[in-house]
Amino acid sequence: MVVGEVRTEVDVAVIGGGPGGYAAAIRLGQLGKSVVLIEKENVGGVCLNKGCIPSKALIHTASKFEELSRVEDMGIQLQEKATMDLGKWQERKKRIISQLTSGIQHLCNKNGVTIVEGKAYFLSDDRIGVETSGDFEVYQFENAIIATGSEPAPVPFATIDHEYILNSTSALELTEVPDSLLIVGGGYIGMELGMALAKLGSDVTVVEVAERILPATSKHLTKEVVKKAKRLGMTIQTSTYVDSMEVENEQVVVTLREGDTTKKQTFAKAIVTIGRTPRTKELGLEQIGVTMDERGFIPIDETCRTNIPHLFAIGDITAGPALAHKATKQGIVAAEVIGGLPSAVDSPFIPYAIFTDPEIAGVGMTVEEAKEEGYEVKTAHFPFQANGMALATDAQDGFVEVIVDKETHLLLGCHIVGKNASQLIGEGVLGLELGVRAEDIALTVHPHPTLTEGWTEVTQAILGKAIHILN
Amino acid sequence: MVEFKLPDIGEGMTEAEILQWFVKEGDEVEQDEPVLEIQTDKVSAELTAPKAGIIDQIFFKEGETVEVEATLFTIRSSDEAPQETVSSSPKAEEKQQEEERPKNESTSIPAPTNRLKRALATPYVRQLARELNIDIDEVEGTGPIGRVLEEDLYRFKEGASETKETKPVTSQTEAATPTPVPATSGGERRIPLKGIRKTIAERMVKSVQTIPHVTHMDELEIDALRKLRHSMKEYYESKGVKITYLPFFVKAVVAALKEFEYFNASVDDETNEIVLKDYYHIGIATDTEHGLVVPVIRDADKKSIVEIAEEINELATLARKGQLRVDQMTGSTFTISNVGPVGGNLATPIINHPEVAILALHKITPRTVVKDWESVIRWMMNISLSFDHRIIDGVLAVKFTNYIIERLENPNLLFMEMR
Repeated sequence: MVVGEVRTEVDVAVIGGGPGGYAAAIRLGQLGKSVVLIEKENVGGVCLNKGCIPSKALIHTASKFEELSRVEDMGIQLQEKATMDLGKWQERKKRIISQLTSGIQHLCNKNGVTIVEGKAYFLSDDRIGVETSGDFEVYQFENAIIATGSEPAPVPFATIDHEYILNSTSALELTEVPDSLLIVGGGYIGMELGMALAKLGSDVTVVEVAERILPATSKHLTKEVVKKAKRLGMTIQTSTYVDSMEVENEQVVVTLREGDTTKKQTFAKAIVTIGRTPRTKELGLEQIGVTMDERGFIPIDETCRTNIPHLFAIGDITAGPALAHKATKQGIVAAEVIGGLPSAVDSPFIPYAIFTDPEIAGVGMTVEEAKEEGYEVKTAHFPFQANGMALATDAQDGFVEVIVDKETHLLLGCHIVGKNASQLIGEGVLGLELGVRAEDIALTVHPHPTLTEGWTEVTQAILGKAIHILN
Repeated sequence: MVEFKLPDIGEGMTEAEILQWFVKEGDEVEQDEPVLEIQTDKVSAELTAPKAGIIDQIFFKEGETVEVEATLFTIRSSDEAPQETVSSSPKAEEKQQEEERPKNESTSIPAPTNRLKRALATPYVRQLARELNIDIDEVEGTGPIGRVLEEDLYRFKEGASETKETKPVTSQTEAATPTPVPATSGGERRIPLKGIRKTIAERMVKSVQTIPHVTHMDELEIDALRKLRHSMKEYYESKGVKITYLPFFVKAVVAALKEFEYFNASVDDETNEIVLKDYYHIGIATDTEHGLVVPVIRDADKKSIVEIAEEINELATLARKGQLRVDQMTGSTFTISNVGPVGGNLATPIINHPEVAILALHKITPRTVVKDWESVIRWMMNISLSFDHRIIDGVLAVKFTNYIIERLENPNLLFMEMR
């Protein structure tokens, strides 16, 4: 017997237990593969532990809290002014997370997936070492799926101390609402967190380098958000740079520069949300020859294969939007390909959802993209102000927009601004995948009274026969 | 050492079944000596040794289906040493190579196809395309605004296997093994649809799908022709020629085709044109052990009844032996199906696409008919003419049939019109 490392043989090693990795592991288990799922922190990944889910819990709470200030005209009288205990909220957040993570552990377990906690490192293209608490385990695999995700991008102008200067992760650990707050970066994470904390009572300033907030989203879709942000008392400074950021006297002192003018401002806390960066370093990927681009993303084909055919990469470490549902789809596809099934990620229809107030969600092409693809387009809008349910439930801000091919009325894209945009977009995603035409939606009966009637109206508007707006 | 590969022996064949080996490994053969017999979906053929020597290795068994360019056997000169390879067939080696893809070999990454503009299809159909190994962008969709439907994929797949698909080598003995059925069922047998049967199936589907068929039926008195045939029969039999009714029918049909040119035609679906032909190649539907084949009498207008009779006999014999050449069974402009000798009164024959009409001739029987207000007994025959209603209307079909009937009821007309 050879003395040396003891290795466990598995069919597949999945590195990273986020929404991509755990979905892949479960699917592999279903396909009868032996799987080890290596996670250095908690299964569920960023999404579940410090991203999507806790941020939505915060946004939900903030919305409820903010609505309380507007319930009087509904006839509700509050005896006392509502107060917010963010420490108590943290307990709720932890409950939600632990319920979800234990669910994933249970599912992994039942599907024969072994979860190993530790930091992984590729020793060769068929062996991976895992540093667990005080031990080192080696797994030999036939295939591996790299699903290590992303983390907040490094900040050149400040040191994240997680106490005064926070990133998106530590922002969700706050136990008190700061009196004043600077958000650096007006992308979707910054705007979601900024609006939520503004609703909870913080005096929020957002600075953004671009000339408008949510620069990656079409301008006409962001107007309602800007309006609402102003109504919440937020200060938005665009085309503005952070020259310096220091902690002085338990406060954050920043120098902001807009054009030629600079000014010094002080905030109780600052949250830096200037993007995310793929976690592909310190995994040994260079040594085993996995190709990466200059920003650290791993190029893959439509089966999620890297340049080394038995290694797959999924999720935030691949090009495209860093979205959990993209990672999940890729994870399932990679698992099925490893299982010998003819699976592929072949859809351009990855929806996006921004949980600002109001929400913005969309899928498919924008007008510009459609024109670039050679379509002659026709668009229509339906404002929620013309929808009964929207008025009854305080959801009148926003609209549904569809983009169709002028001749065939083939649905090309849809974008929704509004209270439940993220839920409503589901119909658009299915519509695009099925290749529906405006007529298909217009002729479908949607329930009344609901916001989904917006779909009927907007597609009827394409055909020049909307009932509740003038055509 | 010479490797003998399956040649393409005509009309875009992609594969053939090995019917019989005439030799075994180690046998000595002369140049041009038959080595094996193969069967494609159209013809069977003997393949001969390219040079004299000793059969070194034989790679496929009888009953196996092989594709064009596959090595069938190797032949070595009498003084060459036998090849010391393991007697595994090349397909096994290929498979092994495929499985043992070197692991750390870096490959280039094809770009993902999730681009914005793509073939219109539901996710289910996309997945099905992957399962069928079809590039969905190559499929012409027949659904609304060009949507690719499930059946489009199957149609595409069929089309591909007809023309260019490179199928993996499959063993016929395996394919023919009946699928086990549960003991409780009444029992059924599964026979692979292949070879001539498959070709027939595909052609019939194509014809019925493309052509709106109408069948016109009529009857004619055969007494005069019967007399004529009997009077000639003995004379020609002494010369070794068997005179049947068929050559007369062929001649009458050719006369009608000359008069009604739209029956000697085809439709070019791609250009939307009717193609009228000034050559008269008459296909004769012939029953064989393997199924229906249609040998062709070329330039029937330029041949005498006796010549046609001789040719029909020759072709029918070859057809039954499965020895027709491709050029002997393609290119007909009109087809006659003479089912009369077997029996039956009427039929609705399917047109031999891309032709536009087919004539079925039925059993000759004595029947009571009315002539000059009297019941008399005459030798009668029914005929059924299916025609392509896209380009031929009913009245024209009746006229065409009448023209044939006229010549068969009064065969002197054939003689009078002879060139």
